[in-house]
Amino acid sequence: MALAISAARVWGPRRQAVPLLLRQLGARGLTRSQLPRWQQQQQFSSLDDKPQFPGASAEFIDKLEFIQPNVISGIPIYRVMDRQGQIINPSEDPHLPQEKVLKFYQSMTLLNTMDRILYESQRQGRISFYMTNYGEEGTHVGSAAALENTDLVFGQYREAAVGAAYAAKRANANRVVICYFGEGAASEGDAHAGFNFAATLECPIIFFCRNNGYAISTPTSEQYRGDGIAARGPGYGIMSIRVDGNDVFAVYNATKEARRRAVAENQPFLIEAMTYRIGHHSTSDDSSAYRSVDEVNYWDKQDHPISRLRHFLLSRGWWDEEQEKAWRKQSRKKVMEAFEQAERKLKPSPSLLFSDVYQEMPPQLRKQQESLARHLQTYGEHYPLDHFDK
Amino acid sequence: MAAVSVTAGRLLRLRAAGAEGYWRRLRGTGLARSFLQPASAGEDAAQTRQVAHFTFQPDPETREYGQTQKMNLFQSITSALDNSLAKDPTAVIFGEDVAFGGVFRCTVGLRDKYGKDRVFNTPLCEQGIVGFGIGIAVTGATAIAEIQFADYIFPAFDQIVNEAAKYRYRSGDLFNCGSLTIRSPWGCVGHGALYHSQSPEAFFAHCPGIKVVIPRSPFQAKGLLLSCIEDKNPCIFFEPKILYRAAVEQVPVEPYNIPLSQAEVIQEGSDVTLVAWGTQVHVIREVAAMAQEKLGVSCEIIDLRTIIPWDVDTVCKSVIKTGRLLISHEAPLTGGFASEISSTVQEECFLNLEAPISRVCGYDTPFPHIFEPFYIPDKWKCYDALRKMINY
Repeated sequence: MALAISAARVWGPRRQAVPLLLRQLGARGLTRSQLPRWQQQQQFSSLDDKPQFPGASAEFIDKLEFIQPNVISGIPIYRVMDRQGQIINPSEDPHLPQEKVLKFYQSMTLLNTMDRILYESQRQGRISFYMTNYGEEGTHVGSAAALENTDLVFGQYREAAVGAAYAAKRANANRVVICYFGEGAASEGDAHAGFNFAATLECPIIFFCRNNGYAISTPTSEQYRGDGIAARGPGYGIMSIRVDGNDVFAVYNATKEARRRAVAENQPFLIEAMTYRIGHHSTSDDSSAYRSVDEVNYWDKQDHPISRLRHFLLSRGWWDEEQEKAWRKQSRKKVMEAFEQAERKLKPSPSLLFSDVYQEMPPQLRKQQESLARHLQTYGEHYPLDHFDK
Repeated sequence: MAAVSVTAGRLLRLRAAGAEGYWRRLRGTGLARSFLQPASAGEDAAQTRQVAHFTFQPDPETREYGQTQKMNLFQSITSALDNSLAKDPTAVIFGEDVAFGGVFRCTVGLRDKYGKDRVFNTPLCEQGIVGFGIGIAVTGATAIAEIQFADYIFPAFDQIVNEAAKYRYRSGDLFNCGSLTIRSPWGCVGHGALYHSQSPEAFFAHCPGIKVVIPRSPFQAKGLLLSCIEDKNPCIFFEPKILYRAAVEQVPVEPYNIPLSQAEVIQEGSDVTLVAWGTQVHVIREVAAMAQEKLGVSCEIIDLRTIIPWDVDTVCKSVIKTGRLLISHEAPLTGGFASEISSTVQEECFLNLEAPISRVCGYDTPFPHIFEPFYIPDKWKCYDALRKMINY
């Protein structure tokens, strides 16, 4: 016992426990692992009053106090540019070359153009369904630009993303996996499972949450009561950050650093990109039923990722109105041509309805395929066969 | 001081031994540990333990695959997993408690042999286990997931049905998770009650894109499991837990494959076809012997082996010959897989049938605890149904 006390003074309260225990065990001719668990704890508690629970490393407290969740001043939002596209802190400027930043801008605007054309085409009945990206172009482009061509991208499928990251780690592939999801999807059990597995199994994965304020009609106040999604990361032991999703440089910087560390250190990262869904949830949604036009206009006019980047480009002299006009025309033409070419193609043959259920087609499925073929021979006139390959 | 603490230690150890035994009996989910105790543990000598409702009948030893070794069912699983990890460097095994060897000892020794990055525990989360496995498989690596009891597979149902089963189809074969296999202990065990006895194959039979396989014996299990692992489609492999120790056979040490989607006629006969899978195959084997002895009826016994995609041809060929069909499974009657077999057979073999198709199954109740002996489709119920069918 005296030995224990003097050891405590030399090494500090906890450190001496293990070597002392081993010495005592040595006297009995036992190793620590040979003792049943209750007896191991018996040993520890006789030495000092520190908690020894396997489940947490913490100090005791003798005052009853609940931890107050902090939603008033939550995790701060990292940004590089202000709303006018000016760099706030020069040391955070990624100093990207002009062509790269132009590529950001053109990707975001091309996406925007494609959204407008495809949304319209759904209204005209030329496609069945569409979801736009209005207001969130910064999150997509900023994060994608920070990845390598060999990285794996999962849109949803949070747990599968973790599995892919684990396999990439085992293969020493130098790849990161990024998984995108919204703040609504973060409520699913899948997100909890994904976070916990990624942390415990030490996977090189970036969880990228686009918090755009709405899950269809459900505002964030009805989706969660905590400090958004970023605050959940530390609960799983995950490095986390919240960024301004409408600031493409902030998104880029955070993703770039997360990628570097995820691969180097084999641990997950959580990025919550705050943004706003300017458009409707989809072509089946009319958001005026649940939010004000004023709210939407604010984001469209005052805090749009494309505008902010354009201000940055203009202030650098890397873009001007002439180029803007020309590019708008060119991107529209690009999308229209691709759309019309796709529209002219026939849809694949109905016999392919039965392919790829399994790698090989089982006999029962082949029978069903033949049955449909026979049916169409007799009743084909009632089906839209003209739009399909033979 | 050392002497005092040694004596105190001994006393405490003795108390602990008693405490541990008591604690083990109390622990609800420690059910698995008690499976490992022999039935004649001697604790409850006054109360008779329930005798198993079947007798395991080993198949004759095969020399086809080289040297064999006596193995029980869990050892044959370990052998299959060992073979897989040896020849496929991407293969990994994961699930709850697999690292120390598993609650049924199916993964004993594998972590030491292949490393902690290849045989590892996951958090307690079935949807996570399956979803994670899908992700590994999508990269082309071999994922062998364990769900600790088939009763717990339901949280993973969405991952299996909506993700794994549809992965290839929805991506037009650009991606797939074919190298995923999910293994899970299955079926009644004498005292499993509601949540350690279920046979959920019917839920998955309704899901195109996956394969569901159930072996009747150690030899079958190893060959079928190896086929599932190598199959290019996601597979679920249910292991009859009551056979883990009770079923012992000579099993080849080297790897071998038993084909999927092929039923096996394990006994030929002329008067009635009996179809079952897993443990129930041994029940109907006994029923066939009873029928021969008491009724002079010759039974053809089919082990279905793969639930989906199932071997329609073998079953129909048999029914065309015999004219009578009896299907038996532990899972509840309504919507059980016997209804699918029955429906297809009456479509294909209507004019050959001498009697309505008979299904002898569990009742439409949750799997009961104390009423298990009355619930299960034992040999007496099967025999009775067979007798009625013969006399139709």
